[in-house]
Amino acid sequence: MRKFLILIKKEVKELLTLQMVLPLVVTMVVFAFVGDIAGDQAKKSQENRSLTVVNYDQSPTAAAVISALKSADFNVSESDHAKSIDEILRETKERQQSAVVIIPENFGQGVTSGQAQEIEAYTIMNNFSLSASQNSVILKSALEAINNYISDQLIRSRVSDLKPEEIKSPIKVRDIVVVGNARAAVSPEAVVGFISQQTTFIPIILFIVILFAAQMIATTIASEKENKTLETLLSAPVSRRAIVSSKMIGAGIVALLMALVYIFGFRYYMDGMTGGALGGVDGTNQAFSDLGLVFSVSDYLILGASLFCGILAALAIALIIGSFAEDSKNVQGLITPLMVLIIIPYFFVMFLDINTLTPALKYLIYAIPFSHPFLAAPNIFLGNFNQVIFGIIYQIIVFIVFVLIAGKIFSSDLILTLKLNLNRKKR
Amino acid sequence: MMRMKKVLEVKNLSKSFGKIPAVSGVSFDIGENQIFALIGPNGAGKSTTLRMIATILTPTSGSIKICGRDSVKEADEVRKMISYLPEEAGAYKNLTGLEYLKFMAALFAENRATEKRYLATAEEISNLKDRLKSKVNTYSKGMTRKLLLARTVMIEPKLAILDEPTSGLDVVNAFEIRKTINQLSKRGMSVLLSSHNMLEIEFLSEEVGIINQGKIQEIGSVSELKSKYKAKNLEEVFINSVHNR
Repeated sequence: MRKFLILIKKEVKELLTLQMVLPLVVTMVVFAFVGDIAGDQAKKSQENRSLTVVNYDQSPTAAAVISALKSADFNVSESDHAKSIDEILRETKERQQSAVVIIPENFGQGVTSGQAQEIEAYTIMNNFSLSASQNSVILKSALEAINNYISDQLIRSRVSDLKPEEIKSPIKVRDIVVVGNARAAVSPEAVVGFISQQTTFIPIILFIVILFAAQMIATTIASEKENKTLETLLSAPVSRRAIVSSKMIGAGIVALLMALVYIFGFRYYMDGMTGGALGGVDGTNQAFSDLGLVFSVSDYLILGASLFCGILAALAIALIIGSFAEDSKNVQGLITPLMVLIIIPYFFVMFLDINTLTPALKYLIYAIPFSHPFLAAPNIFLGNFNQVIFGIIYQIIVFIVFVLIAGKIFSSDLILTLKLNLNRKKR
Repeated sequence: MMRMKKVLEVKNLSKSFGKIPAVSGVSFDIGENQIFALIGPNGAGKSTTLRMIATILTPTSGSIKICGRDSVKEADEVRKMISYLPEEAGAYKNLTGLEYLKFMAALFAENRATEKRYLATAEEISNLKDRLKSKVNTYSKGMTRKLLLARTVMIEPKLAILDEPTSGLDVVNAFEIRKTINQLSKRGMSVLLSSHNMLEIEFLSEEVGIINQGKIQEIGSVSELKSKYKAKNLEEVFINSVHNR
């Protein structure tokens, strides 16, 4: 046992180098920083709902539309209608605004006579980022505010005994979402938004951690072979089983540490992006909790167990891959098939519903051991615990099979004689 | 003549990788305190033989006994009595020299007291002094080799297996390593080494085995071989032996 602990300590020490820790910390800090900046930007653009209005009509209706926009918290800059449109657009750009609304001549007259009026809406696109889409949202909501104001006025002028909103929305909808056996009064959009926030960062972390763990162990085996430290180790009075398991445990510990760092970093990132509203918008928290969409401690433990088993399976497979490598440079090429096996479930979980796939494709995804940690979070949300437990058992079986193969390789000549140099083959 | 106690007995040792024979019917013995050198051209089977004796490759046929213990059936016991220095081996680059020695001492020692003794021996033999506190990746080739030799012999093995111990080293470093090997043998350690350096072999070894194409061609003391081949030095013996076959 003492020698086993010594081997684990050495593995962790070898893996946790400054070169490895520094990029990890930097990544985390960058994530938090980017999240903060993006969150600030989104907040600013939401607060700064400004647009330019050119009023060619000068009727009381047009003036009322402009004051309606102002009272709906829009920062309205009125431009001189004597100027050309090019000049107006240039000035709008200078004011760092991106929306121009043109109220045409005879607008008021047309509206009063009940004819649909055409308003020109200019959107100035300086970039195509997510924050740019915020500009079109501002314009859209301004046009909605104009429409609302005019339709309200028209209804009031024609039907004096009814409230305009009762005519426009005679049906009041009370959304109730059902997840498993749980029900809660919340809009399905809010639930989808909340789950997609959660399921965006969980698969990314799983992907990074499983891949890093696999790469780490394959590289340590390859570099031990390259430096011939493995030969020294194999001739020492320690069991081969201890050598194999210490390598896996060492890489597993470092991978879990990385997972914690990434979870922390991503949490910061998401908090920054959503202004700390990761848990849902006001009043919806209780609904999410009622629907079982907020992870309890036991849910986190099950998710953790699934992730840990996924890491173990990846480590066992990577251990064998590392045995084929002649040197550490060779590892990258050899690890590619494993990367593909991790990427496939990652994309399926991110973009598709696995239940809508054909049975063959569905079972193929289930056969990949790394699919199960990716599927664990949505299954826990939906209360499909049997499926999560099945995934964990399947991963343990895969792990045992590959560990037995790795043990066979390490206790035979194969560990020194297995060679697969992809670079050489290409020549 | 009084027979020495045998530390290593190799009988009819063969090893094939698939259909390719690497070592065929190799036999030799090493007595207590003896330095035995295995010499031969590249690919002759030296390293494969040494790796089999070091228990990291399994022989296809034949037997290896270390102090009477079978290297395959009693590999765990054998590993406590041997220490192996592979050709051009490195150490863990992210550890300091001292951390590396501590790690290896702990793997061989059964208790803390023995571990400390091994470490003290290694510090003395390596003679790296304060540089032991530096990371191994800052070491020169000579320093790394000294560290590894110290690691190999610190456990006072019955048999030290040294594959090309001075390969790639400058004259000064190679001389120091040879001197250390000689001193250790006088202190009771048997040594099996392989080398391409004939001068080194003449300086160190009492007995030499010439191996070519996986087979032992000659075994004898340096003087016996020189007189058999009417050669001025071991290099001539080696050339004649290898080319005459």
